[in-house]
This record gives sequence, C-alpha cells and structure tokens, in this order.
Amino acid sequence: MEIFVLAFFALGYLVLGGADIGVGMALPYLGRGAGERREVIAAIAPFFLGNEVWLVSAAGVLAGLFPELEGELLSGNVAVVVPLLLSWVVRDMGLWLRGRVPGVRWQGFWDGAIVAGSWGLALSWGVLLSDVLLGLHGPVALAPALLVAVVFGAHGLAFAALRLRGELRRRAAVLSGGSGEARTYALTAAALVVVGVLAGLRLPLTAGPTASLLTPVILVVTPLLVAAQAWVWWIFRHRVSGPSYL
Amino acid sequence: MDTVDLARLQFALTAGAHFLFVALTLGLATLVAVVQTWATLTRDPVHLRMTRFWGQLYIINYAMGIATGLVMEFQLGLTWSGLTEFAGNTFGASLAIETLVAFFLESTFLGLWIFGWNKLNRWAHLAAIWVVTLTAYASAFWILVSNGFLQHPVGYELADGVLRLTDFGAMVANPTAQVAFFHVLGGAMVTGGFFVAGVSAYHLRRRTAEQDLFRKSLRIGIGVALPATLFTATFGGLGFETLQPTKAAVWSGSASRIAAAQAELAAAHGPGDYLPPAGWVHAGAMTMLIAFAVMFFFAGLSAVLMLIRPAVRSLRVWHWLLTLMIPVPFVAMLGGWVFREMGRQPWAVYGLLTTAEAMSPLTQTQMRVSLTAFVTVFAALIVTNYVLLARAARRGPDAVTLGDRPIDTPSTEPALSL
Repeated sequence: MEIFVLAFFALGYLVLGGADIGVGMALPYLGRGAGERREVIAAIAPFFLGNEVWLVSAAGVLAGLFPELEGELLSGNVAVVVPLLLSWVVRDMGLWLRGRVPGVRWQGFWDGAIVAGSWGLALSWGVLLSDVLLGLHGPVALAPALLVAVVFGAHGLAFAALRLRGELRRRAAVLSGGSGEARTYALTAAALVVVGVLAGLRLPLTAGPTASLLTPVILVVTPLLVAAQAWVWWIFRHRVSGPSYL
Repeated sequence: MDTVDLARLQFALTAGAHFLFVALTLGLATLVAVVQTWATLTRDPVHLRMTRFWGQLYIINYAMGIATGLVMEFQLGLTWSGLTEFAGNTFGASLAIETLVAFFLESTFLGLWIFGWNKLNRWAHLAAIWVVTLTAYASAFWILVSNGFLQHPVGYELADGVLRLTDFGAMVANPTAQVAFFHVLGGAMVTGGFFVAGVSAYHLRRRTAEQDLFRKSLRIGIGVALPATLFTATFGGLGFETLQPTKAAVWSGSASRIAAAQAELAAAHGPGDYLPPAGWVHAGAMTMLIAFAVMFFFAGLSAVLMLIRPAVRSLRVWHWLLTLMIPVPFVAMLGGWVFREMGRQPWAVYGLLTTAEAMSPLTQTQMRVSLTAFVTVFAALIVTNYVLLARAARRGPDAVTLGDRPIDTPSTEPALSL
C-alpha cells in the first residue's frame, strides 16, 4: 500500500508538473515575443503551484514512510539533486518575477530563467532517472537523460496544445499531427508514467514502521486533495484567451 | 571549516532565510484574510483596494518563502541522511503530514486565490484565502512538532539503532512543540503588524494618495502588533520552562549548573563536550529580548498615538520611526531562532544523535560546491525580491496588478513582439 501512495504522488508530479516543465522548455519556440510568451505562461499559471506540490508531497511521503531510502536517494545523488533544486528555484522565480517590472529586458531575462530552469529540471530528472533505472553515471548518462528531457518537452507541447488558441495552439500541436491533441497528451503522459514506474521498480521500497500510522491518514486525506485540485482544473478548464497575473 | 560545519552553515542559511519570509507570510495572510472578509461583507471599495495592495505584497514575499522551503525539505535527506535514517520514523511522520494535510492544500488554494481573482464567485474567493491562511498555520504546527521532537524527543523507543514512534499523541502534545507553535505564530503576527503599520506610515508621511486606506491599515497594523507582542512574549516565557538542561544552564551562566549539566551528559554518553556555544546562546537570546523591549514600548506608544487623529495624519517623526521598526521583528525572530537551535548543540536529536552523526556521507568538495551554489542563487534572489517588495510597497495601491482585471480578458498592453 505504501508503495502505491508514493507512486501516486511521484507519478502525479511527473504528469502534472512535467507539463509545466515541458512548457517552460518550449517557451522560446511557442512564444516568439514577450506578449506571446506571457500568454503561453498563462497556460500553466493557475496550475504550477498545485502541480509542483505533488513533488513536495512525494518527498514528504518519502520522509514519513521511507526515511532510509530518502537519505540514500538524496544524499547519494547530491550531484544531481543540487542542480535539480537550483533549476526548480530558478524556474519558479522566473515565473514570479517576469511580470513584476515592465520592460523588455527584464522580462527577457526572467523568461530566460524559466527556460534554463525548465531544461535544468528536465535534464536533472533525466540523469536521476537513468541513474536509478540503468545505473549509469557520468557523461554516458547524458544520452538517456536527454531522451527523458525530450519526453518532458513533448509532454509540455501536448499540454500547451490543449490550453492555447490560434497560432500558439498550432505551434504547440506540431507533434500531434493528425492524432488529436488529447490523444497526444495521453501518450506523453503515459510515457512519463512508464519511465516513473520502471524507475520505481528498481528502488528498494521497504516501508518503515510508521506506515501503520501514516498510511490510513494519507488514504483519508488524498481524496480531499484530489477534489481540491479537480476544482482548480474545472475553474480553469477553458482555453487561455489572454495573459494571466504572471 | 570541516564538512559538518559547511552543512550546518548551509542549513542555517536556508532555514534562516525561509524563516524570514515565512514569518511575514503567516502574519500578512491573516491580515489579508481579515481585510478581504470585511471587503466581501460590506463591498467597501477601500477594503477591496486594501486586500489587493496587501495581497500583492504578500505574494511577492510568499514566492521566496516557497523557494527556500523547497530547498529546506530536500536538504534533510541531502545533507542530513544520518538524521533521516536514525529518526525519520519519528519526526518524518509530522513532516509527511505537513506536506499532505497542510502544504498541498495551501499551494492549491493559493493558485486559486491569485489566478481566480474576478473569476471565482466572491465567497469562493474569500474561502480560498482562508484555506490558505489556516493551512499555513497547520503547516507551521506540524513543522514545529518535528522540530519539537528534535529539541525534546518524546513518544519513541530505540531499537536496532534507530528510533521508532511509539506514541504519536505524545509527539504532537510535546510541550516543546506546542509552546513554540504559539510563540512563532504570535511572532508572525508581530512581524505582519509592524510591516503593515510601517508601510502605511511611509505613505502617510509622504502624503501619497489613499490617505484613508493607509490610516485604516496603520490602525490595523498597530492594533495587531501590540497584543501580538504580549502574546508572543507570554509563550516565549513559557518556552524558557521547556529548555533543555544544557541550554538552560548555559543561559543562566551559573558555573555550577553548567558543570552539573555537562557532567550528567558525560556520565550518560561518555566523555565529550556537551555544552552549546555560550556566545551564540547569549547573543541570540539578548537580541530577542532587547528587540522585544523596543517593540513592546513602541507598540504601546503607537497604540495611544493612533487614537489621536492629528498624530495619525501628520506626526511625521512617528511615521518615520514606524517605518524604521519594520526590520525589528525580523531581528527578534532570528535571535530567538539562533537561541533555540544553537542552544541544542551539539545534538541533532537532543540526547540521542549528535549533529556530526546526523551528517550525510558527503565530501568536503561536494559540500563546498553545494553551499556556494545555493548561497549565490539565494543571495541574488533574496535581494531582488526585497527590492521588489519595497518597490511595490512604495508605489502604493494604484500600481497593483493583482486582481486588476478579469483573468480572461485580452490584455490592453501591446504585444511587444508584433
């Protein structure tokens, strides 16, 4: 049961947060100017806080249910986890700060931070997953890492195609071809889930003794958490028609 | 510096930075929620503008709180795997509950509050800020349950070299956690109150537009700061009752008590130095206590002055001083935190695991690179965010973009690319 709890939050992050990462990676392609980029960001704006918190929760589950693995996984991969965290911070700060001051240079700089942070996140996840999955370290790990990053990018494009309109939507749909936007999103989401599940199968997932206390609590609150997020998805179900607060 | 010192410095800087932003977040969230409640009930335009103005400052501050918080959460496993392996089965439970029961909902509803402005029904929008505020309190509570366990472990057993939780209720009811929660919550209200009062006083002194809005805000700020200062001090006083023997001994300065505390731990754990660094303990506590005295005196004086209309309008010296007071609660917060955390050294889990044992098996180079990278990025971001916070505070309600138009209307700004 504990393994499913961890999988739920980790895979939830890969699918939901993965779309934000992918949109950030594709930002220069999707938005050719500051105005367009602001509209592309509106595609993820209402969701990114609620999406990244799935990873925070996965880490919380790891701390509570698999504390030994938490220490091993994070401290054993310090060379990947530090860039991952820094990329995450830089990406988020780019999103928050880009609109705080008017001006093309200010916004261009923080848009650059969003792109760099998103690529950094995707590649760090790629390196971490290929280490867990294939046991590869060093430069040779970059090939599978790049592949994982490409999947994140494709997933972001698929999500953007579902959220944007007009020319921006057409650009985002470059990968879909005739297969339909929803189907492309389902496919890229499935690809991320498969990578996540395969990596998870390689981890020594033995729950600690606190599981008997925590698991029931988590099982009770999880439907509430999903309902809260579903409400957000419902409120923002329509395609983006203009810039958001960011 | 050896590796453990580098790891401690990294954690201290991250946690200290996080604490500064979180304190203001907790305090401001409450004030914004109360003002928005009034605005929603009365549809008073001044209170609507107040909600947007203070809400904008709240969000600027919040963003940095998240960034530092993320790094803190992961740093536990990253640099303190000895701690998570030894004690994760105990204090990890409250960390897990914090992320799932509190922070998950806080993030979700914060997104709804920011991006759902003018889109949600106004009662649903009001509910969103209250969920954000209450889950922020819950978050602080569960974090302090974790911290309380490290300060004063209860409800555990030691088996096969690791801790197991035997009594969850005892861990939650731990007085070291409970007292600290109310102390920190009060401190956050002090921080928020002085912030609102100080920014309002700036606008009153400069005679900017919206004098009515800032007079109301000034009174709210001071009206919160004075009782909150007393509340915080009360729980701070109770906190002195929950000090570990070594911290209490070092704070008392009594040579015989210090020797007795040291001898007791040496008898239990073998030879070694079990005393916290006296300089830090005293400096932290004195900073906190002096800042308290200043805040108490000044909040009391201000509570009288704010009843005198001409003073609120034009007593510029007082306005100046109120603005200068903004950093004082932050200083007090950091002082108290240094006292609490330096005072439990050399232990990570008091009496059970030393800080050196809690460290991950990392090399000196790894720690140096990690510390340099985090410090560089965070220093730049913190300076940027404080400059932006001050800028938004100075520019006043007219420049606020939060909630300034329905979210789905096309922007009136020209598309710069075309």
